[in-house]
Amino acid sequence: MKIKKSAAVFRFVILAGLGFVIMYPLIYMISCSFRERRDMNDPTVIWIPRHFTLNVIKETISAMDFGNTLKNTLILNIGCAFVQLISCAITGYGFARFRFRFRNLLFGIVIMMILVPPQIISLPLYSQFRNFGIGKFSVNLIDNMLTMYLPAMTGNGIRSGLMILIFRQFFRGLPKELEDTAYIDGCGAFRTFIQVMIPNAASAFLTVFLFSVVWYWNDYYMNAMFFTNTKTAASVLRNIETELKLHLFDSVSVEIPPREQIVWKEAGCLLSITPLLIMYVFLQKYFTEGIERSGIVS
Amino acid sequence: MAEKKKIIRLSYQKRKELCGFGFISIWLAGTVIFFLIPLIKSLIWTFCDVVLDSGHTSISWTGLKNIRYVLTSDQYYTYYLRDMLTETLWKTPLILIFSLFIAVLLNQKFHGRTLARAVFFLPVIIATGPVYEIISNDMGSTGNTEAAQFSTLFSTDMVGELLQFLGIYNLSDDMDKIISAVSDNIFGIVWSSGIQILLFLAALQNIPSSVREAAQLEGATAWEFFWKITFPYVSPFILANLIFTVIDSFTSPMNTVMKRIFAMRDEWQFGYAAAMVWIYFSIILTSLGITAAVINKFIYYETD
Repeated sequence: MKIKKSAAVFRFVILAGLGFVIMYPLIYMISCSFRERRDMNDPTVIWIPRHFTLNVIKETISAMDFGNTLKNTLILNIGCAFVQLISCAITGYGFARFRFRFRNLLFGIVIMMILVPPQIISLPLYSQFRNFGIGKFSVNLIDNMLTMYLPAMTGNGIRSGLMILIFRQFFRGLPKELEDTAYIDGCGAFRTFIQVMIPNAASAFLTVFLFSVVWYWNDYYMNAMFFTNTKTAASVLRNIETELKLHLFDSVSVEIPPREQIVWKEAGCLLSITPLLIMYVFLQKYFTEGIERSGIVS
Repeated sequence: MAEKKKIIRLSYQKRKELCGFGFISIWLAGTVIFFLIPLIKSLIWTFCDVVLDSGHTSISWTGLKNIRYVLTSDQYYTYYLRDMLTETLWKTPLILIFSLFIAVLLNQKFHGRTLARAVFFLPVIIATGPVYEIISNDMGSTGNTEAAQFSTLFSTDMVGELLQFLGIYNLSDDMDKIISAVSDNIFGIVWSSGIQILLFLAALQNIPSSVREAAQLEGATAWEFFWKITFPYVSPFILANLIFTVIDSFTSPMNTVMKRIFAMRDEWQFGYAAAMVWIYFSIILTSLGITAAVINKFIYYETD
């Protein structure tokens, strides 16, 4: 009994300590976003701001052009995440339930997609999108949303390989009888997939969709590659210093030491992850409990 | 009659095969255009001079010139490469051990488990984005809040004192180094093991309760239970996590080698950039392959 108790104390200390390491930046972010910049130089202020203000948040919203940015992020990232979810599910199902020639070879390509970093292919991909098509019939797709949507639609978006793998594992785990009855009833393969398999795969869909949203939301690499001026939450944050200089500290007379700029930077961070955090708070139980049902295990 | 049946069955199988192709056809088309062609192109660029002119690339074969240049003349590349590889070498095992340890803790039953899990998976949604870069930099620039603050929590001194308290005085320097490396980098390690914890936890939840009960009946201690039951069950995931960890740190736009490659790209030196990526990629992939082959021998697969 004594051992059990000390084990519980040990567990609590470890988890609380490391949990603090994780929460620290978030608490710091919130604390910074609501203080005036002079508080940064006040050694007595650590967590609770002495001069509470909402101005920093307001200024950052205008500097980041937050309304537009959010709209872009939703259209581009959430849209792509959704389209990618569908294409990966279809592909994963194909690999899981049908035998066809070269299946293992093709699945090898899926594994390769997981291993090959996007940086290797991004350069040729850029020049490919610059002249998309054959010979005379080519168009410049740079700055067009299609540069993100086309790969997502065909199961080649951000970390698609991983998602195809998850879906394949999941569909393999479902009982075969499910489809057999549908086939006997004269249902076609695609209709079977939509009417029988998808309702059974709801938890896997949700888990993968969450990951898909997170990865697209956080992506700035692809965005910087294919767009010159379409800002998403991640790409604005990536260049937050330039944005702040441009919109807030534009006059020469205002010189703000880097230490005080942190206030706006942290506010920017807070703004750009708030939507993700809200989603996480509502859906975290699928992250934490749903993964075991999503088929990664098998 | 029997013959007729055979024909029908055959066509049914053919039909299923066609269906399979139908399901993967969209992906296949996309993969050829958006994955295979660019991949081959970048491999070709490694051996070429690439000039980009209003989007049209013109290339001329130069053989191993790019590779030789990158390895011998570029003043940063080999230096960054060595740094990056040593970092991966010591950080990956630490992340794996740490995430397995946390997963075991989070798998136990206790009050507030859901909250604890929610906190430990939080890095999953943040760490791939630019926010992580900003917060880890800001920690450094505001003197009072830098990573050292965590080290005072898990301080090297504390570790040292603990060891002395336990009567361990002259521990080898290597051990000392490892311990201080862990406590100094606790922030980076905790923040980059979200997915790993998630996967290990999934594996732990997959241990059948019958096995657990049998072990309890036989009177296994927690120590024996971990090494004889938990460990074999999660061993396939050690491999998966190893691959994930290495690839993740390898592709992170934050690492110095990648930054050097971006710098090359921004100077329009596509040939050099391609050579850098491919050298880096082949080193990582070879070492990963060897490690995976070794680990694979020790893995316990339940079904196969």
